[in-house]
Amino acid sequence: MSAPLYRLRGVEAGYGEAAGLGPLAASVLHVPELSIAHGSIVGLAGHNGSGKSTLLKLLGFLLSPSMGDVYFDGRLVDQAALRAGHLLRRRAVLLGQDTCLLKRSVAANVFYGLKVRGLGADRRAVDWALELVGLDPVLFARRAWYELSGGEAQRVALAARLVLRPKVLLLDEPTASLDEESALRIREASLAAREQWGATLVAVSHDMIWLRSLSDEIVFMRGGRLTEAPSGIHGWSAVSVSA
Amino acid sequence: MRKLSLNKSLALALLLAFACATTAFTATPSAAEDIKLGTTTSTADTGLLDYLEPMVLKDTGLTMRWIAVGTGKALEHGKNCDVDVLMVHAPGAEKKFIEEGNGVSRAEFMYNDFVLVGPVKDPAKIKGKGVADSLKAIAGAKAPFASRGDDSGTHKMEQNLWKVASLPVPDKDSWYIGVGQGMLATLRIAAERGAYTLTDRGTWIKYEAKDQGKSGLAILSEGDKALLNQYSIIQLAPKCTSIKHAAAKKLEAWFLSPVGQKAIASFKLEGKQLFFPNAGK
Amino acid sequence: MDYFSEGLTKAVALLLALDPETFSAVWATASVTALALIASLLMGLPLGFALGHFHFPGRRGVRLFVDWMLSLPTVVIGLIVYAFLTARGPLGEWGLLFSVPGMALGLTLLGLPIIISMTATAVESTDSRLTQTLLSLGADRWQLLWATLTEARFAMALAAATAFGRIVSEVGIAMMVGGNIKWQTRTITTAIALETGKGEFATGIALGIVLMIVALVVNLLVGLLRGRANGSAGGHRAGGGRT
Repeated sequence: MSAPLYRLRGVEAGYGEAAGLGPLAASVLHVPELSIAHGSIVGLAGHNGSGKSTLLKLLGFLLSPSMGDVYFDGRLVDQAALRAGHLLRRRAVLLGQDTCLLKRSVAANVFYGLKVRGLGADRRAVDWALELVGLDPVLFARRAWYELSGGEAQRVALAARLVLRPKVLLLDEPTASLDEESALRIREASLAAREQWGATLVAVSHDMIWLRSLSDEIVFMRGGRLTEAPSGIHGWSAVSVSA
Repeated sequence: MRKLSLNKSLALALLLAFACATTAFTATPSAAEDIKLGTTTSTADTGLLDYLEPMVLKDTGLTMRWIAVGTGKALEHGKNCDVDVLMVHAPGAEKKFIEEGNGVSRAEFMYNDFVLVGPVKDPAKIKGKGVADSLKAIAGAKAPFASRGDDSGTHKMEQNLWKVASLPVPDKDSWYIGVGQGMLATLRIAAERGAYTLTDRGTWIKYEAKDQGKSGLAILSEGDKALLNQYSIIQLAPKCTSIKHAAAKKLEAWFLSPVGQKAIASFKLEGKQLFFPNAGK
Repeated sequence: MDYFSEGLTKAVALLLALDPETFSAVWATASVTALALIASLLMGLPLGFALGHFHFPGRRGVRLFVDWMLSLPTVVIGLIVYAFLTARGPLGEWGLLFSVPGMALGLTLLGLPIIISMTATAVESTDSRLTQTLLSLGADRWQLLWATLTEARFAMALAAATAFGRIVSEVGIAMMVGGNIKWQTRTITTAIALETGKGEFATGIALGIVLMIVALVVNLLVGLLRGRANGSAGGHRAGGGRT
């Protein structure tokens, strides 16, 4: 069995050290042991403030642990790796709750991630990503950021991440306040990411039905700790947790 | 990208405007020498300097650039060497200015005069009286009097006139209105409040021409020697090393010359002579 | 009132007859405003950006100082600048008193706090969500800085427009430092003050109308450029939806 994609050992994290990365919250994370396998889809459930978003930011390298080790793709994420954090973040892409659209056109929003990676303007890639989230490129590509509904904006934000074909896609409440059709679209697009390029997904949601329909496995969190899943949910060994 | 090129063209346009602005103000087109004249609002507002400017340029090659402010501020500009020469009308303050070492000489070259105006009804009955008696009558009747109250040359003249009338300068008296504004504003307030006031004749002529007698104010006392307003040209002290002393002397010479004196006399406002040359008298 | 109709007729006459004194004042106003605005923007945008974006010790104090400077009366600015530029002042040797660059210097002091304060506020209000968005899309340090700057462009344009309005209509500094010298430092506003002092109210109003026309032309030009650069003539709505 190959090494897991993520491996966390004795990790403690919280806000304060990573100033400027989101609102100050009391959330603290304690993860003695967590592994996530390549190509798995993991759902994270739990109450507000249970540490789900904090864990997601940690996995997205937007937050550094105050203690413990994080291994990513078989390598220890040390200080040197964190100094070039953008290289890690280009592989593990987060669609966070604090994410917003840039004040640009839809096409420019979807294109931004490719641009910072030094990849040229690829109209076809942008069109492909928009289609993947169910937005007609002909209708939407030229629209300005303020000409979108909440659901459309959320789907554009997802398209901006799918177009990067990231190794890891981290989704924080991607369907909150969305209609059923948009939620369905986001689920299909997420599944397509694994099918088409073997992406690994970690998704946080309060919508248990949606989360179950997407995930191979669901992990529960409480008070910053991962808890044993209620019996019958553990399917196979995509995730291994020790509480 | 289209957006980028537009931003660029905007930046270019701004840059161009900037370049134009700087070149226009660093390159002086004419060969004439500029001379900075610190003066009071009366000489500029009446149009006297506008009228004399081309003649001065023709005869001396100097282009007058005047900074017209209140007398106090004009003297301050002179003290700080911010102008090349002064043209002011406050003899007392001027003498003190020279005594304090800020100026070297003072040449009287023209005068205009002040008039005492007031409501046509003349509640204090001053019509035809000399200025000292008029002020006494006003103070005695506690008739409203509007004062410039701004430390201008006119204000200083008024304060001096109270002394001439051997009265204390009014201050907190209820009939004494300290306006703190220009002459026209003071005249308007005097008209509205039915008050007497002291004004230079130039402003009065313009005010009357505009209002065509509707304001209810009229000249009630004029011609008194104490009402004459002497203008002089002051050469600044040698401590002002950066200023144009030679040009300042040249300008003074023109104003004192027969040509300059004749030019001053020929200036008319609403058809009336306003300034009377008196160099060397 | 008579003054208005007379003023309006006179304004049209002055403009149509290409009255040299009026155009000299328009030119002085335009060059002084352009110089002061460019200087304010060159210094104010980076300073405001730094103040809003970076967290450094003493930042609150600096912020307080800048906001305090907003309420500095222009007459006081004029006096301070005069004290520096007078022949016997510390900068007397530069010979800037009663000159266009000297006026521009004074007016820069008026515009600078406006630009700094408004830019800082704009950057602060977008920062935390935007930073996370840009980081999650893979921006490195410089790309993050640049994108934050470009995202604040509408707020900066607003700051520039506000500063323009204040500078172009200013009279205290222009009078004190410029000296209202005919053909040189006589701007539209100081000419208005002069005409009012002379009792030429209609001419004063006429010049006021000229100033408003100049300002309108500038605003229309900026609006045109913004409209085109934006791909749409509409304004911008804040946010862009939670995504």
